[in-house]
Order: sequence, then C-alpha cells, then structure tokens
Amino acid sequence: MIFQRELKRSRKSLIIWSLVLAGLIIWLLSIFPSFAKSQASMEALMESYPESIRQMFGMNQLNLGSLIGFYGLEVYMMVTLLGSIYAALLASNILAKEEGEKTVEFLLSKPISRSRIVSQKALAVFVNIIILNAVSAVSSLIGFQFAKDEDIPGKTFVLLSIAALLLHLTFASISFLFSSIMRKTRNTLSISLAVVIVTYFLNVISGLSEDLEILKYFSPFKYVDSANIISDNRIEPIFIVIMGILIAGSIAAAFFIYKKKDIAV
Amino acid sequence: MAVVDVRNLTKTYKKNRGIVDVSFSIEEGEIFGFIGPNGAGKSTTIRTLLNIIFPTSGSATIFGKDIVKDSTEIRQNVGYLPSEVHYYDDMKVIDLLKYSARFHKNFKENRMNELASRLDLDLHRKIEDLSFGNRKKVGIVQALLHEPKLIILDEPTSGLDPLIQSHFFDLLLEERENGATIFFSSHILSEVQKICDRVAIIKEGKLIQVESIEYLTKNRVKNITVILDQPGLELIIPGAVIKEKKGNEISLLYSGEMKELLQGLNGFPIQDLLIEEPSLEEVFMHYYEK
Repeated sequence: MIFQRELKRSRKSLIIWSLVLAGLIIWLLSIFPSFAKSQASMEALMESYPESIRQMFGMNQLNLGSLIGFYGLEVYMMVTLLGSIYAALLASNILAKEEGEKTVEFLLSKPISRSRIVSQKALAVFVNIIILNAVSAVSSLIGFQFAKDEDIPGKTFVLLSIAALLLHLTFASISFLFSSIMRKTRNTLSISLAVVIVTYFLNVISGLSEDLEILKYFSPFKYVDSANIISDNRIEPIFIVIMGILIAGSIAAAFFIYKKKDIAV
Repeated sequence: MAVVDVRNLTKTYKKNRGIVDVSFSIEEGEIFGFIGPNGAGKSTTIRTLLNIIFPTSGSATIFGKDIVKDSTEIRQNVGYLPSEVHYYDDMKVIDLLKYSARFHKNFKENRMNELASRLDLDLHRKIEDLSFGNRKKVGIVQALLHEPKLIILDEPTSGLDPLIQSHFFDLLLEERENGATIFFSSHILSEVQKICDRVAIIKEGKLIQVESIEYLTKNRVKNITVILDQPGLELIIPGAVIKEKKGNEISLLYSGEMKELLQGLNGFPIQDLLIEEPSLEEVFMHYYEK
C-alpha cells in the first residue's frame, strides 16, 4: 500500500527530472558532431586549460574529441551529479516527512510494522532511481545516434550506466538513513544535499595533487570516475564493494533505527 | 478477560514528565474513561499502548497480546482517533478512508457512507480544505470504519459542534452494543460522566484512582456564583461551602440537589446567578477531602 502510494506521490517529480535529464543528455550529445569536427580548435582548447585543471577533470586521460571521451567528460557529469541530487532529495524526506507532517500518528495506528513501512518506502526510492537511470541510458543511446560515424564501446557504456546507478543508490541510501533518524524534513534535506555537494567537490580537488589522492576514498563520485572507467574499461572492485557496503549498511541501519525509536508527534 | 491490561507502565522523558507506574484494566464491552488535566499523561499512555513510543518499564497487553512485541497484530483490531488529526494533504476524504481500510482488508463501502452521512461529512472534499471539526469527523470515521474491537479516542469531541457530538456518542453506544470496548480520554468531566462506565483519574503522570461513574456523580460539585443587589447579605444554603465573598459577589461550592439550591436562593435579591462546572482541580480537591 505504502509502496504504491509513494510511487504515485513521486510520479510528477520523477517525470520532470526524467525529462530534464533526458533533454540535457540529448542536447549535449547533439552538439558533439560539430564539436568534434573542429579537431584543431579542440586541441587548442585543451591546451588552454592549465595542467592542474586538466588533471582534476581527467582531461588528460580522455579524448574530448572521441564520442566516449566527450560523453565521459561532459554528459556523465550531468548524469552523476543531477541524479545524485535527485536521489538525495527523494530519499531524504520520504521517511521524515511522515513525522514532519504528523501523518505518522495515523500510519502507526494501522496494522503495519515499522519494518514494512521502511521497506516499502525504500523500495519506492529504489524503483524511482532505477527508472531515472533507465531514462538516462535510453536518452544517451538516442543521443549517440547523432554521431553517425562513431560508435561507443558497448561494455564501457554498460559499465558507466551501472556505475551511475550504484552512485545514485549510494546517495539515496545515505539520505534514507538520515531520513530515519531525523524528523525535520528541512534538516534531512540540507544534510543529504550537503553530502552530495561536498563529496562532489572532494572528488574534484582530489585530482589536484598526489597528496590529496587519499581523498578519493571519501567521495563516491571518485568511485565512478568516468576517466578511470573508460580507460581501464572496468570499475575498480574495491569501489563496488564500498558502495555495496554503504548501500546495504545504510538501509540496514535505517531499519534498525526506525524500528526502535520513539516517534515524536 | 480484560481487553486492556496495563501493569506498572512507566515512560520517562528526558525533559518532560511522562507517566509513572500506571496500572489499570479495561473489561470487554466497557466504556472506560481516562480523565486528567492537560499534560497529565493521557496521550503518553495511549501512545505507549499503541507502541508509537516505547515504555521505559512496565508492560501492558491488549487482547492478551504484548503491546510491544505483538503491536502490529493488536492494531488490526484497534481504531484510534488522536487528539490532533493530520492527514496527507493530497487526499480527499474518501481516499483517506479507503487507504485506511486497505490496511485492515475489510473495506465496507456502505458502512463508510453511513458513518459519513450520520456525521455530516462530505466524502469528496479535499482534506486540506476542511475545517478542524470536519477533519475530526474524518478521524472518527477512520477509527470506526473497520469495526474494531477496541476503540481508543484521545480528546475526541474537541472541535465538534454539540449536535455532531451527540451523534458521535450515539455511534459509540452502538459500537458498544456490537461488542466493542471503548477507551475514552478527555479533560472534560461532563463528557466522561455522560458516556463512561468507569473512569481512571490521572494527574501529573500518576494514576490517582479508578472509579465508577456512579461514585463520581454522587459527588457532583458545582461552582456557584451569586451576584446580589447589595453587599453584605448572609447567604446560608445547606450543602454549600462559601469560597469567597467580594462585595456583591458570593462564590460557593455546592454538591447537593439543584432544587434545594434554588429554594434556598428564593427570596434573595439576586441580580445574576452562575452555575458552572468545577475545574478538575476543584473536583479532585473536593473528592479527596473525605
């Protein structure tokens, strides 16, 4: 019941975000052909960026002139960042809003266990994120059609898509955990978004110098770094493990916490 | 068998006072009142029984099942009306009622329509557009719709106009006829007196007494304020205790028959007469003077 209701409630938002993301992806990819044609000017453009910037954004590893390079550098950032923000927004208040709007007193008087409430809401979050990622993948495939003479290596694309999905699920799970602990939705929202934004920047600065490289373990964005995935044609297993632990651990903790806490009305 | 059996239930909060060592039991088919001033612990007790909050110590059973371990099972047969009613703002009344009924898997459309019409509730309005009183009505229908065996009501009449209140009490009595047990929490003594069989009095987190209504009504006390035309008159009425004399105004506590009061006042130059419900404090005070 709760699952269906949450799906219904979040449908409008999902549609809007999907349309925006699809639009951005397709539009960006449509620019690629003209972008790639001016190869010379592109190299000049690359040279114009200082070395440190090129390091940070992995521009040295990827070739902006190739479809996959362009995708990795330009489009992928959109997918990961926007998708993560969506995930945080969605998951951060799905539990807390019941307490914030005080509807929880009604819900908890119904014959439904707290575990079921948590599981059905978590499921709704996951389904929404999977749908968004599917839209993103399909839009990318559509967008690739613009580059008529170039093709994207299938395995790499699949890896990138899986990585993005895992990234979104990771942020969603962490936000969901906050949602189970706190009760003021504006707090859960702020802190979940802060996590996304801060880790994004951690990822960016970690590329700056060797000393900052250790930061890469703290940012999920680094785990799914497109430059690495594309050049190595794999996602580093340790990162998959970390994300898996974060997802499973956060959700498990959310269950446990919500089951035991006093619900404030 | 006791439908509700509470044993030394205690809930302590860090800042506010909760409930301490509360014990009582409710028999099947009873309408059991729970009365106390604001902040006494009525809502805390109810929320603990429903496992919205966890007890610090003590235990309780409903239908013989533990309120913590078997909470989900218990709630299958419980209807709850909280003191403050908050529902999802995107729903119409009928949406909420159907949603609520789905949890119990026994939605009866006829019953919903009947309850709604008896309480004068429009099923097709958006809940957020409703007044406080009408939202309360939604809560009442929601609580009764699935024919629960135990009905828990927390300050149910606040916001209801007197006519609807009367229909509401009729509904409750009918539910009792059908075998339901009712737990009615209030700070309004007259309501509790009207409908309950027994009453538990709670004050500052502790259960003071469990009493039958008969016994309470025997000690019915009223606050009488008599405003005379001139000061300084002696007013002697048997059964009345003078509280205060201020100029023309005499206030007293009276626990006898109204007829005798009026006979006693007859002949005095009375400008105004106020007959009021005593505050719970005064009831308790009078009650325990013996």
